[in-house]
Amino acid sequence: MLQKHKSRIRPSSQGERDREWSRGEEAPSTSRGAGGSQEPRGSASQGSRRSEAAPAVGPRTQKQLELKVAELVQFLLIKDQRKIPIKRADIVKHVLGDYKDMFADLLRRAAERLQYVFGYKLVELEPKSHSFILINTLEPVEEDAEVRGDQGTPTTGLLMIVLGLIFMKGNTIKETEVWDFLRRLGVYPTKKHLIFGDPKKLITEEFVRQRYLEYRRIPHTDPVDYELQWGPRTNLETSKMKVLKFVAKVHNQDPKDWPAQYCEALAEEEARARPQPQPSAPAPSSSSSSAAATSS
Amino acid sequence: MQSSSRRMGVMTDVHRRFLQLLMTHGVMEEREVAHLQKHCYKVHDSSATADKLEDFINNINSVLESLYIEIKKGITEDDGRPIYALVNLATTPVSKMASDYAENELDLFRKALELIIDSESGFASSTNILNLVDQLKGKRMRKKEAEQVLQKFVQNKWLIEKEGEFTLHGRAILEMEQYIRGMYPDSVKTCNICHGLLIQGQSCETCGIRMHLPCVAKYFQANPEPHCPHCNDYWPHEIPEVFDPEKEGEPTISRPHRKSLRSRQH
Repeated sequence: MLQKHKSRIRPSSQGERDREWSRGEEAPSTSRGAGGSQEPRGSASQGSRRSEAAPAVGPRTQKQLELKVAELVQFLLIKDQRKIPIKRADIVKHVLGDYKDMFADLLRRAAERLQYVFGYKLVELEPKSHSFILINTLEPVEEDAEVRGDQGTPTTGLLMIVLGLIFMKGNTIKETEVWDFLRRLGVYPTKKHLIFGDPKKLITEEFVRQRYLEYRRIPHTDPVDYELQWGPRTNLETSKMKVLKFVAKVHNQDPKDWPAQYCEALAEEEARARPQPQPSAPAPSSSSSSAAATSS
Repeated sequence: MQSSSRRMGVMTDVHRRFLQLLMTHGVMEEREVAHLQKHCYKVHDSSATADKLEDFINNINSVLESLYIEIKKGITEDDGRPIYALVNLATTPVSKMASDYAENELDLFRKALELIIDSESGFASSTNILNLVDQLKGKRMRKKEAEQVLQKFVQNKWLIEKEGEFTLHGRAILEMEQYIRGMYPDSVKTCNICHGLLIQGQSCETCGIRMHLPCVAKYFQANPEPHCPHCNDYWPHEIPEVFDPEKEGEPTISRPHRKSLRSRQH
């Protein structure tokens, strides 16, 4: 049997710590990775890496580009763990540096590696948003959670409830309505919750920052009220049909018991199935089996 | 183009799911890894014959090579259990932690690491670590918060706590060996047998050489009169048993130590 020893404590969500990548000399940013006191292990040749920082212009060697792609992949993987969209500016600042001019090419190669090696698809959150997220192309299966121990995020359940609520109420919901509903489940906006911590903060700040939810003030209301909608990440990671199925399962009913929502979800499914140009995706989604990144 | 001359493996969803789940773990024991591999085959390709774990991992590593990432195998310093971690070869390991911890928390880790490395036993007491909180970089940290941060390091398997004393987790050793050797070249200890980084182990009272407990176990296995491999003086320590997966009950290495530190406050 697999032991259940995993951490139950989520990384503290208290406050918006400015998560600077670089933390002084002992923690160089990835863009300086090869230059520090650290010698990379592994059988890869290190010769070209020493001169990595030297040429600001001119052609870069394949080796240098390969290392940049590797740094970019690791940066994206680590940043994605926090579920906060990764900004183009941060990629340039912390990884690319002098390679800024090759942003599109390096990002495309990193996307190809992420897809092929890890099964993550790199997508731009919204067209021209210059923010990127990773979408898991592997469907989660229930036993993953068992294999993983308790490390799954318990907050996902709360998020699904809120997403379901929004969809069932016509895609927009007042914040007060959300709390009216959650109160019945023992989740109060102002009371610290054993699992969710500060529920108000989680829903109106954390999920918003992760772009699962949109949260905005409803104009001309007194007292002030806010409304919630699905954010762009939700549309990329899940679908109306999946959320409806979740709601139906919770109620022990069939998705078709809500005809209006069912039709809407079906329409969305059909629209997605239609082939369409996807200018928002920075990389071809096909997982090439070629291991080598194409040279520029 | 791929610079490696090594034959490149082929990734399938079995490998991808395996990697994803290994990544969320940080570190896993061999038996867990074997279980994980089985799980991934079951999900994606139940009819296929599973590769031997070693071949399966070598295959993934051949693909990871160009990304300067490697699934590394190591053993725990105390009882020699085999463990696996996804290790980053291109950047400093601290940068991996940097996304999970604030500046003052990272500095607390660094302070703990220094105390552990400088110590004779490979352990640093929580009291000694907490006494340094006033010197941390970044936001001020109270002792109470520092205690919680130390527990977070334990839960995320960077540190191990035993009776109020902290040492490095096998994961930290796997991921940070090069970094530690580079940063503290004068204070690191190495094992006389395997020449790997040594945090905790036994040492010869005559000549001072050190050995990992699992290395001691193997070296003196079935030897009723153990002598130092360096100076040949009598080895005065208890000889631990060689790790035997067959005899294993519940694994213990990564079980969170939930013991409260509060009683040790002063």
